[in-house]
Amino acid sequence: MTTSTASRYAAEYPLIAAALPGQTLPWLRHLRSAALEQFSLQGFPSPREEEWRYTNVSGIEKKLFSPSLALTADDVDAEWLNEHKIADAWVLVLVNGRFSSELSVLADLPVGVSVMSMADALNTQAEKLEPYLGSAASHLEHGFIAFNAAWFTDGLFVHVPSKLVLERPIQVLHIVTGADVMTVTRSVIIVEESAEAKVIETYISRDGVYAASQSGTDSTAGVANAYLTAAVTEIFVELNADLTLYKMQSESEKAYHFGGSYIIQNRDARFTHHNFAFGGLLSRNDIHVDLGYASECELNGLYLGTKRQHIDNHTRIKHLKAHAISRELYKGVLDGRARGVFQGRVIVAEDAQKTDSQMNNRNLLLSDDAEVDTKPQLEIYADDVKCAHGVTVGQLDEKSIFYLQSRCVDQETARNMLTFAFANEMVDKIKIKSLHDKVLEQVLIRFPQEGVNKEWL
Amino acid sequence: MSVSTQEINKLINQDYKPGFVTELETDTFPPGLDEAVIHRLSKVKNEPEFMLEYRLKAFRHWQTLKSPDWAFVNFEPIDYQAISYYSAPKRKEDGPQSLDEIDPQILEAYKKLGIPLDEQERLAGVAVDAVFDSVSVATTFKGKLHDAGVIFCPISEALREHPELIKQYLGSVVPHTDNYFAALNAAVFTDGSFVYIPKGVRCPMELSTYFRINAANTGQFERTLIIADEGSHVSYLEGCTAPMRDENQLHAAVVELVAMKDAVIKYSTVQNWYPGDKNGLGGIYNFVTKRADCRGENSKVSWTQVETGSAITWKYPSCILTGDNSTGEFYSVALTNNYQQADTGTKMIHIGKNTSSTIISKGISAGKAQNTYRGLVKVLKSAANARNYTQCDSLLIGDKCGAHTFPYVEVKQPSAQVEHEATTSKISEDQLFFCQQRGLSAEDAVSMIVNGFCKEVFRELPMEFAVEAQALLGLSLEGSVG
Repeated sequence: MTTSTASRYAAEYPLIAAALPGQTLPWLRHLRSAALEQFSLQGFPSPREEEWRYTNVSGIEKKLFSPSLALTADDVDAEWLNEHKIADAWVLVLVNGRFSSELSVLADLPVGVSVMSMADALNTQAEKLEPYLGSAASHLEHGFIAFNAAWFTDGLFVHVPSKLVLERPIQVLHIVTGADVMTVTRSVIIVEESAEAKVIETYISRDGVYAASQSGTDSTAGVANAYLTAAVTEIFVELNADLTLYKMQSESEKAYHFGGSYIIQNRDARFTHHNFAFGGLLSRNDIHVDLGYASECELNGLYLGTKRQHIDNHTRIKHLKAHAISRELYKGVLDGRARGVFQGRVIVAEDAQKTDSQMNNRNLLLSDDAEVDTKPQLEIYADDVKCAHGVTVGQLDEKSIFYLQSRCVDQETARNMLTFAFANEMVDKIKIKSLHDKVLEQVLIRFPQEGVNKEWL
Repeated sequence: MSVSTQEINKLINQDYKPGFVTELETDTFPPGLDEAVIHRLSKVKNEPEFMLEYRLKAFRHWQTLKSPDWAFVNFEPIDYQAISYYSAPKRKEDGPQSLDEIDPQILEAYKKLGIPLDEQERLAGVAVDAVFDSVSVATTFKGKLHDAGVIFCPISEALREHPELIKQYLGSVVPHTDNYFAALNAAVFTDGSFVYIPKGVRCPMELSTYFRINAANTGQFERTLIIADEGSHVSYLEGCTAPMRDENQLHAAVVELVAMKDAVIKYSTVQNWYPGDKNGLGGIYNFVTKRADCRGENSKVSWTQVETGSAITWKYPSCILTGDNSTGEFYSVALTNNYQQADTGTKMIHIGKNTSSTIISKGISAGKAQNTYRGLVKVLKSAANARNYTQCDSLLIGDKCGAHTFPYVEVKQPSAQVEHEATTSKISEDQLFFCQQRGLSAEDAVSMIVNGFCKEVFRELPMEFAVEAQALLGLSLEGSVG
């Protein structure tokens, strides 16, 4: 770790500190300064750390990204943005890490529900936030969380009161408009007892719409912006509550993306996560779930890597109490020179008897230069448990290809169909129609389905 | 192969049987480690000059290293200056020429352990090299093996008599720079076995080395080198025991295997070092580097291990699959009880085309023990059509123990097929109930289920060892049921 780089960011900190939200709150000031100190000490994680051994983030250190302090909502074309909004959802738009009220759609919220920007929440609901902010994601965990705690400019705050079921989903749209900026956001989602909610996180950049041209890596170089996204979301699912979180990450081709979701589930709580990692030059997802008594969590993921993309998914499920159930399925398709990383860790604490945990990771390598590194881990300290994990790395099943060929499908189409089907299993799990179509569109851009009848999809 | 329940039951009620001490006059170096000790060691062993240089080079490198801490084990830092690096039974100037000249007390000790140094004994099909503390005391069936062209002797003897082979192969699989304990071993190793199977020879009998730690305050640094030349075949076994002592003793071994074209090496270990008492006091630290290089085409190396002893086991018998079509196998049963800790597994590095590897690992954790499987399957770009199948299962007995699985899979070749599966569970109540309903006691039922759980691995062991291994399992599980 080059401490000099850490201090390059740290040195700039005083210049922007005053503009960060929540400066009047002593507890937050304290949290930020502790995090800053931690970050100055250790900087961004290095591949020498076990949890980061396959992901080298030194690119972020070399580039010095700066926060975008001015609100630049004017740059955003509302019509273009509408295409990315989920129909029938409350949408909170963050442009370069700052809330834009004119672009957001937050009308008609049921009474008692809070959906607002983090900066507003710190102004109006600071007491409510205090026990939650920083309690699911400790800045001591690693450099990115510390960085996020010190630098965050805004984010999403959701509070769903008990016994309220939100029928419409909440979408938070992260948009980056310029090059070399960093957007650092911290979100907190609280779903109180027996409440239900669906939240969609979307990450896009104005310029960096994925270019479908597979050949010629540099043909789009003039368009794609390099920038840094560091988003941390802390989620609290209380007694018997239910939360479904979708994340669609299609950042620009040159972007660095760190997205961490840290979930604490209380007794009987249910949490489902669908993670679609498509964009970015280098992206890393952290999903840490702490499970309470008899709670359930389901983590689904799909990562598609092409060109020189590096996609790292890091999940950690802690069974802290008895009778909890966890299910995890991550699938990866890697083409070009892409590298996929999956690290899945399941920890079963001493008291967590009757735990039932299953983890699966399946990878498809499509080209000679693609690589996958996978590390599923089981750490078990209780005896009355059922835990299993499985990993496969390989190519398409020759028998299946032959089967299709014997039905007059040419080989290339057969391969396309099977690759698509492999990925589509994850897409089909999405229960929100308009989101499903958007994700499907992204999959099809990356793996074109020539000869496949789109009507079937 | 079948061991009746009564027998297991008998075994369950035994203490650590090989825990006795043999009273002997010994030549022992005072504790401490510096270059002078290495000079002296090399001189005592009457080694050629190049060996001394090799040792010093390794020692100097070791001094620059720090003890690694990434493994899932806990132990107090080892004071390397408090260990004596050489201890050998006193003997006549020329060394024993025949069995009659070996100290009868040593013979007695081996007899007690059930290892026949007498060639007329019942296990006549096995040639044994007996390593007692720092030296090899006897090697049986040398003549018969010599007729077949096989070299099987203590490595210190090989240093003097086959320096060209040693020069060529020693450190070629595990270089002295490999890791902390390999560097230490290269500097201070005292004895071990050397095997060379010439071209096209199928070794006429099982080869075996029996390691015994006897002296207190010593470390055992064993070095084994097995070379199987083109088209040859060898099966090698090792066994180990040590007295019961309250302090921890270090066993840092290096084993190197080289398999040439079409050669087959089968390496089996039944490790039964003293595991410490019920409260975790004493026991051997077993920090071992084992690696095989499948250099030639169609070569095959198979590791089979049954790890029941040692306070801490920390080893990863690995295969580097360099040759095209080469095969690596790893079958392991690791059992930990009381306060034992094991962090073991394998590394399969696929380099050649059409290489395949199989990993079957069975971990059993009881008492307050921690049992970890850690394995790496790495498929390099050159390894077209590589194939790996990994299965690691853990069985938990008792609610204070831990079982962990840390597999690493790195694939850079799209035509590779890699599969990994792991499960962790306890002995199912249904199975136990079924057995008990048919009149078996709970302990018998557990023994039976555990043996069944490990069957896939035991099947790979040579016959004599399979019986011993089954018995050991019953023994080590003592007191963990009910």
